[in-house]
Amino acid sequence: MAASVVDTYSDPNMSWMNAPHSTGTSIMACEFDGGVVIGADSRTTTGAYIANRVTDKLTKITDHIYCCRSGSAADTQAIADIVTYHLNFHKMELGEQPLVQTAAAIFRELCYNYRDSLVAGILVAGWDKKRGGQIYSVPIGGMVQRQAVSIGGSGSSYVYGYVDANFKPKMTKEEAKKFVTNTLTLAMLRDGSSGGVVRLGVISEAGVERSVILGDQLPKFYEG
Amino acid sequence: MSARYDRAITVFSPDGHLLQVEYAQEAVRKGSTAVGVRGKDVVVLGVEKKSVAKLQEERTVRKICLLDDHVVMAFAGLTADARILINRAQIECQSHKLTVEDPVTLEYITRYIAGLKQKYTQSNGRRPFGISCLIGGFDYDGFPHLFQTEPSGIYYEWKANATGRSAKTVREFLEKNYTADEVATENGAVKLAIRALLEVVQSGQKNLEIAVMRRNQPMQMLDMDTINSYVSIIEKEKEEEAEKKKQKK
Repeated sequence: MAASVVDTYSDPNMSWMNAPHSTGTSIMACEFDGGVVIGADSRTTTGAYIANRVTDKLTKITDHIYCCRSGSAADTQAIADIVTYHLNFHKMELGEQPLVQTAAAIFRELCYNYRDSLVAGILVAGWDKKRGGQIYSVPIGGMVQRQAVSIGGSGSSYVYGYVDANFKPKMTKEEAKKFVTNTLTLAMLRDGSSGGVVRLGVISEAGVERSVILGDQLPKFYEG
Repeated sequence: MSARYDRAITVFSPDGHLLQVEYAQEAVRKGSTAVGVRGKDVVVLGVEKKSVAKLQEERTVRKICLLDDHVVMAFAGLTADARILINRAQIECQSHKLTVEDPVTLEYITRYIAGLKQKYTQSNGRRPFGISCLIGGFDYDGFPHLFQTEPSGIYYEWKANATGRSAKTVREFLEKNYTADEVATENGAVKLAIRALLEVVQSGQKNLEIAVMRRNQPMQMLDMDTINSYVSIIEKEKEEEAEKKKQKK
């Protein structure tokens, strides 16, 4: 009885040449007292091949609003560019910094109205002077939900328990950074589509501080 | 018969003029004065602010507008027409950034605005825009530029220029007093712009709005106190000049 064997490398559906660039990802955003901390892994895959192992999935929309991208790399890049266009124009008209909620609303308009053509899960995070640090989750389908802490991407499934057990409101900046780093590291260790380095961003009234945590500096967890 | 129609729509008159465009330029000449000075590291735009009625909120009168983070525009003429053009220019600045991933150059956005104005001199049933714009700012490569557009759709680059009421007087003043040394510092460029405006603005400093564009920095509108201190320095210098002249005699 010959069992049919599927060879993933010659199966055209799994071919490296045709598979869409996706950011099977781990992304996260967390409020702290005075702003938000955002983080992401750095792996972009086409099928099983890692097309980019140092991707920057934290994309600037304005000086005080960033987004964490998961899903199709092409879709999320295009959406982020269009939102930046709309928000910049809005900023010109308004004469002041736009609200994070406005950015989330524009993301939602695109992600909901084109939901049949897009695969995009986005975390919109930033600081404005009306409501301080805010995170708006815009998952696939285009709903919007404000949350104090939010995770996304394929790697997030493995860390819901850790986040629920360890998040505390009104953390300090350093506590929040450590929390995000730990969570993302755990996700990267378990999810094959996530890995590389941990990219962080801290958004507050002063603006944005970016940092990277390289492989050898990631926190160590039990690996057997 | 056609001679009677060419005044009402933008078609050529028998002697080769576009009368509607020339009437639009008349409208510009009735608008409050705007002046622009390009320095080495700054571009300064100044406008004469018409005095507001007692009950009117001052901040709704805006004659200097940002087109993008690095491009600022002042105008003379019909404010309502300006609003439309500014809106279209702001959209174009963003659209350019989206497609080519670079901020607009001053020349590009000036050409766009001028092209828009020209279209309205060649369209059915529309009249030209009744404004002249002074567009200033820094390109991505760091060089400052100052451009002027007119209702006809032409545009030129200038080191310093004025438009609106008494533009000729102000331009003559600038031609006499503009030197590369004078505008090499920010102080010098701002002083020159204010001096130029003071030549034609009645009742002095309360009616001035000055915007300063610096390389890689957001536009700054000078506040009342700063303008007043410049005006006092200018007036002192004028007195010293007058003294010297008297002594020479």
